[in-house]
Amino acid sequence: MHEIYTHEKSREEFARAAKVIPSGVYGHLGPAEGCFIPVDAFPLFSSRAQGSYFWDVDGNRYIDYMCAYGPNVLGYNDPDVDAAAAAQRRLGDCTTSPSTKMIDFAELLVDTVKSADWAFFAKNGNDVTTMAVMAARAYTHRKKIVFFKGYYHGISPWTQKIDYSGVLEEEVWNNVYVDWNDFDQLAEAFEKNKGQIAALIAQPYMHGNFKDNELPLPDYWQKVRKLCTDNDVVLVIDDVRAGFRLDIAGSDHYFGFEADLICFCKALANGYNVSALCGKDFLKNTISGLSYTGSYWLSAVPFAAGIACIEKMKKLGMPELLIYKGTLVKNGLIAAAQKYGFDLHVSGVPSLFYLRIADDPTLMLHQEWIAECVRRGVFFTNHHNHFLNASLTDEDIAETIAVADEAFAAVRERHPR
Amino acid sequence: MDSTMDQTTLAYINMYAVLGALPTLCELSEQARTLLADKSCAVGFAVKGGPQATLRFANGACTFEEGAEHCDIKLPFSAPEKFNAMINGTGKPFPSKGFTKLSFLLGPFTKLTDLLSSYLKPAPGALDDENFFNVSTTLMIHVIAGAVAQIGNHDKVGRASAGYIVDGVICLRIVNGPSVGILAQNHVLSAIHTPPKQWMSYMEFSDIRMARALFDGKVNAVVCIGNGSVRVGGMVSQIDNVNRILDRVGRYLA
Repeated sequence: MHEIYTHEKSREEFARAAKVIPSGVYGHLGPAEGCFIPVDAFPLFSSRAQGSYFWDVDGNRYIDYMCAYGPNVLGYNDPDVDAAAAAQRRLGDCTTSPSTKMIDFAELLVDTVKSADWAFFAKNGNDVTTMAVMAARAYTHRKKIVFFKGYYHGISPWTQKIDYSGVLEEEVWNNVYVDWNDFDQLAEAFEKNKGQIAALIAQPYMHGNFKDNELPLPDYWQKVRKLCTDNDVVLVIDDVRAGFRLDIAGSDHYFGFEADLICFCKALANGYNVSALCGKDFLKNTISGLSYTGSYWLSAVPFAAGIACIEKMKKLGMPELLIYKGTLVKNGLIAAAQKYGFDLHVSGVPSLFYLRIADDPTLMLHQEWIAECVRRGVFFTNHHNHFLNASLTDEDIAETIAVADEAFAAVRERHPR
Repeated sequence: MDSTMDQTTLAYINMYAVLGALPTLCELSEQARTLLADKSCAVGFAVKGGPQATLRFANGACTFEEGAEHCDIKLPFSAPEKFNAMINGTGKPFPSKGFTKLSFLLGPFTKLTDLLSSYLKPAPGALDDENFFNVSTTLMIHVIAGAVAQIGNHDKVGRASAGYIVDGVICLRIVNGPSVGILAQNHVLSAIHTPPKQWMSYMEFSDIRMARALFDGKVNAVVCIGNGSVRVGGMVSQIDNVNRILDRVGRYLA
């Protein structure tokens, strides 16, 4: 039996944080957006991390299946990436003239990502999704952007919705929303907005929350690609979340098509802060014409880290390794669920699996189970896809399944058949 | 975000959430029941291009009914703005029916709505009285539920939020206090003024003082979720979208 964690110190730190930081912990790492249900089952602050684990401020260790929401792809504090970063730091990081590491990194991406003829660097995923949309508008001289409902492309006003605080109607009224995997509806939207659509932006498959993740139907992306080409619409793949966990050559390559623009961030440099927009040659001059930069975007340390990260991912045979490990986790969790009579759905690609106990449409049963896992040292999240990293061992996976088993038993005891 | 306030939406809020709180007031307040003792009258409100409803008073109780056809006194309004003016005290209604019963309108009904106003917009110091505080906060949660439903159904931005709400009941409850619900059915919202028996999602306030502080904007909801004084669960996407509508409730009811 695993120890049941408590989080007194986390609570204390949260009270301290709330006095000086809006929301205490804001955004996706916070208890509200992170769906920490109930909140007392979850840690709120970490003290350190290593490999597949992080420790909270109460000293509890977690096998981490969120990986900082994606950046931790090789394992926290990967020695090769950290050594490359440290070596570059000794030479210089944020300097007046950029380091040639930027060129090295761009060359590596162009050689790695199938649809890339060039690479442009920034810091966060939102920086490059925003740039992609700006580039599409600049290139086509059109305004409208097509989204799939349930999307997430960042936090700039154009990515949000009319009812979000601080977002103006004018900032989203060129957004066109269609259902994922419904090609006829998409084609109809293209026809209705003919000559007005600058871009279609999409994740490689639907990662929408609160429901199972949904892969593209057969030939869906090929039909979408043709539709975009036929209508001179720029096809933007937001690979910030899934990038390098489906295919080292890009998730468009995984699904057998080529994007015009593709956005990377999370798994790009194992936690070092860099994002990249890669694209086709025909958009390179348009990108050059945009006024778009940032104080730290050309810093060399993250470039060195990114080079080491991509080289190591290739050496380890990513993402197949992550898909293999994810499949072991998936199969183990499903078997544990079945033992107690629960219908656990594990959807999406196994390196990014999404969990949902389907027996209860309210999801409260699911939330109970997730909380019991977290209390026992396996950090799952309620309504977001998870992330695998390469340092996850067979022992970690076995422990995960054992914890999941105990958690299912605890939930079943409260809800007898 | 849209800072405009739509008069039609406001009329629906005034009808369903504000006047719609009178049945609850009559349940909670002895003073309200006394005002209505031995009185029997149905007051209909017919707003052109807006809501139509009847408040029926009998034996110290009040019920809210859709439509304004079956009433003793009928108050027609040529536009939502006119109805809203009556509610905020800047306009007077002219009945089209029930001239012999105007004494009820000018007497008990007016006193009852004044009593409601005193609870919904308390005078300084009024909340120091515990009983007043409890009645006021209980009415507030009912008004909020009603307003959320009407904004979700009529306000342009609110409709966008409602468009994302999956079917089912969202339960808003105060521990050891009142509970209300908001029913979403095919993205149409309605308030439930009795404690829901089942729900898809819930938002639970640890006690009535904490709930009041949140309603009055004195504490932050996200911080409250973090410190556990507000608990949410179930299909929390419903809660997310209701919270977006709640942002607009304050604008309409200010």
